[in-house]
Amino acid sequence: MTPLLKSSLLTLALVLTFVVGWELYWRSQNLGLSYNDDESLWAHTRKEIYRSSPSRPVIIGSSRVKFDLDLATWEATTGEKPIQLALAGTAPRPLLTDLANDPKFKGTLIIGVTEVLFFAPDGSFPEREATKRVNFYPKWSLSQQISFHINRVLEPWLYFLDEERLALRPLLTDLPIPPRPGTWGGPKFPKEFSIIQSDRQEVMTDAMVADTAIQHQVQAVWVDIGAHSPKQTMPDAMVTGIMNSVKKSVDQIRARGGQVVFVRMPSDGPFYEAEKMSHPREKYWDRLLAHTRTPGIYFADYPALSKYRCPEWSHLAPKDAVTFTQDFIPILKQKTGWPITIRSTPKPALTASLPPHP
Amino acid sequence: MVFNSYSFALFFVLLLVLHNLPLPWKAKKINLLLASYLFYALWNPPFILLLWISTVVDFYMARLIAREQRSAPRKLLLTVSLLLNLGMLSYFKYGGFLLENFTALLSAMGIAFHAAQPDIILPVGISFYTFVTLSYTLDVYRRKAEPEPSFLNFALFVTFFPHLVAGPIVRPEDLIPQFKEPHRATTQQMTWGLFLLSLGLFMKVVVADTLLADSADTVFGVPFPVQPLDAWMGVMAFSGQIFCDFAGYSTCAIGISLCLGFVLPDNFRYPYASIGFSDFWRRWHITLSTWLRDYLYIPLGGNRKGAARTYINLMITMLLGGLWHGASWNFVIWGGLHGIFLCAERLIRDWSGKRQRNFAEQNRSGQVLTGTVAQASMLPVSWNGKLGNFGLALLTLFLVDITWVFFRAPDFGSAMRILLSMFGVIPNGAALLTSLDILKVSSVTVILMACHWAMRNSSLVKLGARLPWWLLSLVWAGMLILLILTQKSSNSFIYFQF
Repeated sequence: MTPLLKSSLLTLALVLTFVVGWELYWRSQNLGLSYNDDESLWAHTRKEIYRSSPSRPVIIGSSRVKFDLDLATWEATTGEKPIQLALAGTAPRPLLTDLANDPKFKGTLIIGVTEVLFFAPDGSFPEREATKRVNFYPKWSLSQQISFHINRVLEPWLYFLDEERLALRPLLTDLPIPPRPGTWGGPKFPKEFSIIQSDRQEVMTDAMVADTAIQHQVQAVWVDIGAHSPKQTMPDAMVTGIMNSVKKSVDQIRARGGQVVFVRMPSDGPFYEAEKMSHPREKYWDRLLAHTRTPGIYFADYPALSKYRCPEWSHLAPKDAVTFTQDFIPILKQKTGWPITIRSTPKPALTASLPPHP
Repeated sequence: MVFNSYSFALFFVLLLVLHNLPLPWKAKKINLLLASYLFYALWNPPFILLLWISTVVDFYMARLIAREQRSAPRKLLLTVSLLLNLGMLSYFKYGGFLLENFTALLSAMGIAFHAAQPDIILPVGISFYTFVTLSYTLDVYRRKAEPEPSFLNFALFVTFFPHLVAGPIVRPEDLIPQFKEPHRATTQQMTWGLFLLSLGLFMKVVVADTLLADSADTVFGVPFPVQPLDAWMGVMAFSGQIFCDFAGYSTCAIGISLCLGFVLPDNFRYPYASIGFSDFWRRWHITLSTWLRDYLYIPLGGNRKGAARTYINLMITMLLGGLWHGASWNFVIWGGLHGIFLCAERLIRDWSGKRQRNFAEQNRSGQVLTGTVAQASMLPVSWNGKLGNFGLALLTLFLVDITWVFFRAPDFGSAMRILLSMFGVIPNGAALLTSLDILKVSSVTVILMACHWAMRNSSLVKLGARLPWWLLSLVWAGMLILLILTQKSSNSFIYFQF
């Protein structure tokens, strides 16, 4: 046997040993299996939009609609699963523009509004990140699609194929290196915060729901993000510009027979208080509905939707997302008049897992 | 299809199985050709037509050129081939750029002209396969090579997937003879090929994409000045990224070819240990620099028409070499800077050679200036010593890094802003990079430079033969483990856009 062949066999043995050990280690950490919510998964979901209907709406927005609207519950209630296109930490406006500019899209659209992200100006990080996804879709090559489908076969079996939490990049970010004064490396969520399912549903892990220490860590991340966000109020002209562009997109979709509704998902505690201060409802939400002449559902207006508490101030726990979705669908139907088929009468809302909203 | 993708892994495994089946050699070549077309078509299927046009036209033009004895018709046939190849390249790569500059020129002359924005998509690898086919036609025209009688061999030479989209830019003599005889990798070739593939993927996925790309993107992506430390780190990050990305691709391509039993030419030889710019261009993108030398610089007259023409020829070659990389004035400036550095080096070499000759002459006639000797002995290092060479290599790298600013910056204004930030000319720049970013960039830069310096006069093959087998295995396993840790990265290679 040549030395090179011996090298290759030892290499194979070492790598296999590492892979098995690495996989077993992450399984033992009880983090839950998470799919990569990457461009390909988004593009794969984006392909579905032409089959949307009131019972199978397209959802865009930020993370709240990803956590709070439980797709499996929606499917159990209406018989159809929504098309989840929302992107955590981004502004949904580029997605709205994309759907409005797609002449084949004539469906039903739910737009989640997290004001600080929804009204993020053009060129800001949340807007740029959403734009990247939109730009990726038409360039999604056949080769990338094949890779995506191979990855889909592997992902359910291998925990360590979790780019968001377990790849080299996030592992390096976890290193205890003192920060450089004047710089910010971005938010550092605990690994236990959430997982992504294959349909892009995002849910908190069991550890997150059970452990208040982890919840506090996520709350600290929100505070950290707040401390590094621009403090100045948006000029009114900029808000009007955003309203105009949203109205234009909504009108485009409606002109083709599509339907649109805005939703404001629950937030809680100091986060909600800060949001009310930075983005007063009358200046943003009410004005958005009036300007675009579009119906909207604001959680605080409905006792059935406002009874929940967010463990980390911004998203619902999985159990609450189930009942929230059950409560949300009839409200949506009543508010919009959309012909949503409700297969089963929603069960009475369960008691929220946390004390009632103050 | 990119090498760093699951689709390629599946494609490659299937192809290896097919290539090792007991099939006739012609069938294996047809398999390779079809696989190469599939490899290309999985990006953007319609662009395969351009590849076919280029292949068919050049195959028949070369035959006609070889058959024709009269000078004028030969020139005409060559012109047809050049027009077609360079025409396609110009339209797809430079169409928008030419129109934009034409509009700007008219505007400067006070003529209002608003051209419709052309929506031209650049076919992947067009610059590479155009140069491959051009070298064939030009070699046949210059009677340096006979036209290849087999269309299959020629089509495979143009299309062979490892080199198709980002080189190495192969010449007919590199590949066509290998297609004439049955080739199958020996065990040694297969294992070494897999090692090279692992190394190339490690360079691309781990080093370029994961450790360096973010820092370079951050610094070059902001529209405001940054602190000198950030600017330098951004430039060094790009310097490492472009090398690991491109040399990573070439290493993968060479490794993949070897697994199939074919040998591709080297494209990089530790360029960041170059001593001077002529040395740099003997080590960086070797197949492009030799192509430009053989098909542009030498036909222009090279250094055979006097000093002034030599410098002009050098500048033309480097300016066009810059433009080859992309339709932007920044690439022209990048090429121009390399041209200026090459000219300056040549001037210094000529001057120093002349001085040494004079000195030797004076020495022979007993007229040595004692002052000069005294001065020379006071210098702390000899430029010919190891330390002196290292200093010159650092100086070369410093200047190369300056040129990378123009290569990476989205426009001239951004490039100037980065340069001014690097030298602290703009005060109160922003601090952007985190401690982790700085740690990553500085560690990679130091390791990369050390590797290049240590390997300057050696090669991977020699190193592989010298290392104990278990140590090679540890290095190999370490790279693969980091690759697995980094996970899938389907980022395109930077040179695909060229």
